Formats: sequence, structure tokens, C-alpha cells
Amino acid sequence: MAVVTIDAVSVAFPRRRDPVLRGITLDIAPGEQVLVLGSSGAGKSTLLQLVSGVIPHSVVAAVDGSVTVGGSDTRDSSVVELSRAVGLLAQDPSSGVCLPTVAEEIALPLENRGVDPAAISGRIDAALAAAGVGPLRERRTAQLSGGEGQRVALAAALVAEPAVLLLDEPTSMLDAEGVRAVRSAIAASVARYSPAVILVEHRLDEFAGRAGVGGLPQRSIVLDAAGAVAADGPTREVLAAHAGALIAAGCWLPFESELDAVFGAAFGAAAGTVSGATRDTAAGLDSPAVRAGLLAFAAEHATIASSTSASSSGAPVLSTTGLAVSRERRPRRSHAPLHPVLTGIEFDVHPGEIVALLGANGAGKSTLLLTLAGLLAPAAGVVAGARAGMVFQNPEHQFVAHTVAGEIGFGLPAGPATDALVARLLDDHGLAELADQHPHRLSGGEKRRVSVAAMLAHERPVLLADEPTFGLDRRATIGVMAALRRTAADGTAVVFSSHDLRTVATLADRAVVVAHGRVVSDGAVFDVLRDAAALEAAHIELPPLVEWLLDNVGSDAGVRRALERLDAEVGASGAAADRAAAGRDAAGRAAAGRDATARDAGERSDDPATLAAAP
Amino acid sequence: MTAADSAHAATRLAGSPLARRNPTVKFVLLFVVSLALLFVFDPFTSAALYVIALVGVVAGSGIRPRVLLLGHLPFVGVAVGLVLVNALSRPGAEVARLGVLRVTEEGLEVGAALGLRTLVIGVLSLGFIVSTDGVRLMTSLHQHARLGLRVTYAVLAGYRTLEELPREWQLIRHAHAVRAGLDSRGRPRSGVAAFGRAGFALLVVSLRRAERLAIALESRGLGLTPRTTWRPVALTTTDGAFAAGVLAVLATVLAASAALGVLRGAEVLAG
Repeated sequence: MAVVTIDAVSVAFPRRRDPVLRGITLDIAPGEQVLVLGSSGAGKSTLLQLVSGVIPHSVVAAVDGSVTVGGSDTRDSSVVELSRAVGLLAQDPSSGVCLPTVAEEIALPLENRGVDPAAISGRIDAALAAAGVGPLRERRTAQLSGGEGQRVALAAALVAEPAVLLLDEPTSMLDAEGVRAVRSAIAASVARYSPAVILVEHRLDEFAGRAGVGGLPQRSIVLDAAGAVAADGPTREVLAAHAGALIAAGCWLPFESELDAVFGAAFGAAAGTVSGATRDTAAGLDSPAVRAGLLAFAAEHATIASSTSASSSGAPVLSTTGLAVSRERRPRRSHAPLHPVLTGIEFDVHPGEIVALLGANGAGKSTLLLTLAGLLAPAAGVVAGARAGMVFQNPEHQFVAHTVAGEIGFGLPAGPATDALVARLLDDHGLAELADQHPHRLSGGEKRRVSVAAMLAHERPVLLADEPTFGLDRRATIGVMAALRRTAADGTAVVFSSHDLRTVATLADRAVVVAHGRVVSDGAVFDVLRDAAALEAAHIELPPLVEWLLDNVGSDAGVRRALERLDAEVGASGAAADRAAAGRDAAGRAAAGRDATARDAGERSDDPATLAAAP
Repeated sequence: MTAADSAHAATRLAGSPLARRNPTVKFVLLFVVSLALLFVFDPFTSAALYVIALVGVVAGSGIRPRVLLLGHLPFVGVAVGLVLVNALSRPGAEVARLGVLRVTEEGLEVGAALGLRTLVIGVLSLGFIVSTDGVRLMTSLHQHARLGLRVTYAVLAGYRTLEELPREWQLIRHAHAVRAGLDSRGRPRSGVAAFGRAGFALLVVSLRRAERLAIALESRGLGLTPRTTWRPVALTTTDGAFAAGVLAVLATVLAASAALGVLRGAEVLAG
């Protein structure tokens, strides 16, 4: 008897031409774990909302077919009633935490299910311990960091032991240590009481950890761009059959599957000696074909210019001396020392250089960027240099105008020069067709491109970016990387923070690692990535692919070239695919009340109340 | 009860006598005293009640002097305004003349009464706020005043949203300042329009957060029955004695001031 039955379900949102999901039929057995794959806008989050009952009860949508969860039809049971069977972990941790203290937050699902009060305290402790945040029990939720909030929300989703666990990008906010904690909490729950799990996740390598594909749910469902089930079966088989299409569509895949797909086709036959049988047992980096293919990609650097040839020359455009940074503000007439999160920062940034800022959650990366941007006063020391531009983690915080074109032209003098600049930036960033759209209505990847383009319009010598690829699918990530690379090629210095070391290794010239309140490593990006002690101090784990390339490719330019070539496998990798995606999004968007594209891409947006409020 | 629970209970017990009283009882008493004061229009009764309330709050809640003083500021402001308006505008026996303005005895008296009434309500509210935990208040209002769960948790979730507002506001102001023009001192220019834009961004961000919070509360099963309460708020005989004591003091003061002939009701307004 299935715990979730989805029977011939199609979902259409009002004022959207095409359905988001069509003809979905699925059974999920008790204890079965399922990974949902698909590009942005394919309807992954919509599928989770169908199972939780949020669709159709809280989000208006036309639903054909029936969804049964734990024996109740979701049309007849409210979200509250369905919650007896369903636990939900939403993307944004601040949305998952409702009450003033952690203990009360975790107690709420138990109280609601009528658990004996005498048993509640012990279960709070157990759930927090399983999520690796036992010591946070008496903390106020307002004081939690993003990563802590996400783990508390996970504990709240797990504590009542729901028969179905819905996980919508559970690791998006987390550093390596946080991902490990989330992974082990989910594994512990699965081992303890065997819930059915439906997982939507961009960061599959991080989520799976060293176990690789074996660390992922054993069953996978692929949603195609039209919202139909393109594949449903054992994860290894589904990935083997569909990885190529998923890569082309811009999805993140486990790197082994990506490599098998890329090199299975291109090199499997050429390698000759590799028999089919061998390929079945040796996947990913264990496969000779993959190794040979990666080395062949890397070797191209000798013949084709790669983007590592950075021109980080000339006088620094930004430099710090004895800088200490803190979010606290010194009260007037007080000489009490502040408590800086980072101290003793000596840091020069040169024109055309791309610098990655690495560190654990809460290490002070965002505070440092805000200080470099001149938005926070230094706690000590000085920041010298011209005024820097900055792109924030959530693009919505930056938006000030009611059209994309207005957003990009904001703060510039009106005139033909500005008009020409805006037109050029719209073109450069694949936004021309969206020029008249409201920025808040775009998908996550589009919002990010608008925020970058709007900052670039000011032509500052330094561009700072806080997690610029956070929550994006692979195509959008590649688009942002291309924009930053172009910016640097024009002579602007770029400093960005990131948890994604593959992006860092593909994009950055230089890396700076912060940990324990100071800079622990600063140098050429591949030297820093080889600095095991610094990475250890910052709780940073190298992705296996990057680690293998660093160990096996002789030159840094080769490592960079191999990573760039892998990115080139995504669609046509560039403008053509971007435009195709933008066109599809624009068509679907029309006047979408609820934009599933945006949901998938990291910002839950476009709620009608908000848009109605937009003048 | 586990060790952690007793530790939690211990921190509460270590709190002030007022913190240990039932939040609903305190809330109702605050309401009753405020209501009774609506019928008192002489400064002597109000002054006596203010002194008693002040002593009671300081002794009962252990409020820090700084918090007490700062908390008084808005109420003192309103009180001074009430005295001035009444003293200058109310007809009656003139005690002083400031240019064209007459200060009347009746005006001073009514103004002082109203001002002191504001201070009584102010100091009692301060005592209530510093001695009452938000979650306990909401739990207690649900348990003892039959307030619906959807209301009490909506208030708590709303409080969370409010707690986040300063941080969001700061972020938005920073994000907007990056692209703002600079003033003559080299700082990002800010004006009414910039505030408006930041306000709109805050509205958008907050509405989305509120929507997500609502879904989160539902998906945690808020509204299922039967439900239990992890740490129910006690309603004890001590709370009853506390309520009786407060009401007795109120009645005694009113009776005494009536006996002394200083108690005035709303009839003074008719003059």
C-alpha cells in the first residue's frame, strides 16, 4: 500500500498558458526514498506542494487527477490534517522557524499531535541532537544564523516522525559541516522509523557526500521541461540513461553521473579497451574512460587560451590595512571595544582579478564584504580605494524600480548615454526580452542577472558579490560566472564569497580563506585549494572532482580548462541556451500568479498579495 | 520532567514574584485597574494609586531603574501634555495668566488627575511587560481565556516577523545605499524617496515571509485536535490571592479617598 499516490495529476496556475505538471502518475511506498530531478521550472517544488496539500489549499491552482497521502485525498484534507502524515522542510530557513525560542519551535509539532507532555522534552533533545544542534535548545530563534536555522527547521520537521518527509533543498544555506549534519540527521531518521522521503536538491554532491550516488535516494524521478515524468526508476539507471539530457537542460547532477555521461559518449568507444562490463562497475573517477577524458580536456589548455590568464596587474584598486570588521556599531561616547568577527586583514585587490572569499557559515564573509563596500564602518584599520559596488545574496533586497530596465538605469543621470548603457547591459545579460517586466516577478536566475547588471551599470572599479550563485541551477550558475568573468575582463576587480568550490575553482584567480577570526590563507586559487590546513580550519571540503583534478592534472591551467569544458556541456553553454530559457520563462510567466520557476530557483516569489501591492 | 525542564522552570522561579504570576491574571488585573481609573478625576486618588503601583511593580518585578525611567518617558510626555491642555483650556477659577492664556484651578486639577492616571497605567504596563514572557502569555490566554490557537500563534509568528524587521531593514538600506549618489561628505544620499523605496522592498519581503510562516505553521499541524500543551501555565490559588489583594488595595484606596472627600468622578467635567 503506497503512502503517496499521485494519479494522472496535472497542475496549472491561473494566467499561465502551460501546465506546470502534466499527467503525473506515481506511487511511493512507505520507507521509499525518492530524488526529484529536473531543470528550473520543471515543477519540482510544485510536486512537493501537491503532496503537502499546499496545492490546492494555500496556493490557487487547477489540479486534475488525484493525490492521496497516508490514505487521505489531498482535496478533502487541509494542510493541517495532512500534516499528521507529512513533514516539510522548506528552502528558506527563516520561513521554517515560527516561534521565539528553539525548544518551543520543536515542541509545537508534538503538541499539535497530542504527544504526552512528559515525553516532549526528551524528544526535543533527541531531534536537536540528530540535527547536530543540541546546544541550541534554549536559544532565541532570532539569534540563529542561516545554517543553524535550517538545522532547527529540520529538527522540527523530523521530531514528529511523519510518514512522509518532504525536503526542498535542505542544504542550500549550509557549509560543509552543516551539510554533514543534515545528511546524518536524515539518515538517522530513515534508519529509525523508515519514513518515505521526497528530496529536491541542487547540491547533490554535497548532499551525497563521499558515498557518491550511493548516498542519494535509491529511486529517482526526472521531470522534463514540460512538467511530465520523463523517467522513474532506480537512481543509477535513471542517471545512466538521462544524464546527458539533464546536463544539457542545465540541471545539477552527481559529478560521477555527469562524468559518465560526458565521457561515456565521447570517449567510451574511442578508449576501446574499456569494455561495457568494466564501465558498469567502474563509474565516475574510477572509470579509465572518465580519467582519460578529463586529462584530455585538461590538455586542451596548451592549445586553447583559458581564462586563468588573468591580468591582475597594476596598482591595487582596493586595499585594507589592519582591518577589523564587526556588525556592531560603536555607541556614541563609548570607547568600549567592539567584538570584531575578523581582525588583522591585509588585503589588496587588483584590476581584473577575480577573488573568491571562502569560510564557514558565520565566519564573517558577509561582514567583510559589507565593510569593503563602505556600508559598515571598520571596527579598526582602514579600507582604501574607490567606492565598490556590491551584489547581495537576495537580489530582492536590491530592487528599487518597477521594470528591469528601470532597475538597471537606477541612480544614473537620465540621458542618451545611460539609455545606451542600459540597452547594452540588457543585451549582455540576456535580459532584453524582460526589460519591461517587474523585477520581483522574475525567476531566481533572472533576478540574479538583473542585480548584477544593475550594479555593473555604475562602472565601479570593484564588484563585490555575496554568494552570487546561491540557490541557482547549473545553467543559471554558469550564466552568473560568465557575467563575472566578462566584468573582470573589462578590468573590474571581482570579489565574491561562495560555498561552492567547483564554482570557485572554475572562476576565481585567487582565493582568501577566513577562519578563527582572521585570514588563514590567501593566494592563487589552486594553491589555496591545495592548502589542506587552511581548508580544514575553515571546515571546507573539496568536492571529489576538484580534488581529483588537483591531484592528477599537472598544470593549474589544465584544471581550469577541464572544469570549463565540463560547463560547456550545458546546453550550448552560452547565450543561445540562455535565450531559450529566458524565452520559455517569459512565455510561461505572462502574468503568473505563482511562478514555479522562481520557486525552483531559490526565491519563492510572486505571491499575488505582493504583486497586487506593487504600484 | 527532565533535568532541562527543571532547569528551565528554575530560571523562571528564580525570577521575580510578579513573573511567577499567571499572565492572564496579570493581564485582566491591568485591564480592571485601567477601567476603574476611567472613573477617577481627582489627582489625589490617582497619585495614591501611582505611588502604590510604583512600589508594587518595583518590589514585585525587580525592574531595573534604567528600564523603569526610560519606560516612563512616553507616559510622562503624554501626562505633561494632558496637564497643559487641561490647565490652559478648561474654564474655572483663574490661578495665573500667561498672556492671553488663563490657567484655571479646575483645569490643573483635572489635568493632573488625567496625567497621573496615564502614569498609573504606564507603570503597571511596564511591570506587566518586564515580568511576562510572550509565549507564556499566549499559552495562558489560550488555556485560561479560551483565545483561539490560530490567534495566539499568529501573534507569536507576527512577533517573529517583527523581530526580523530591523535586520531586513538594515540589509535593504545597505543594498540600496550601494547604488545611491553620494552627498558632499561622501556618504550615500538618503531622502524621503529612498525611504519609500526601502519601505516598499521591506513590504514585499515581509509579505513573502508571512506567507511562508503561515504555511510552516500549518505544516507543523497547528489546529489538529486533540492537542497537548508541553509546558502548561499554572493557575494557582496564589494567583487568586494575588488578584484578590490587588482588587482589595484598589477598593481600599477608592473608599478611603471617598471617605476623605477627595474622590471626584466624571461630574467635575461638567464643572
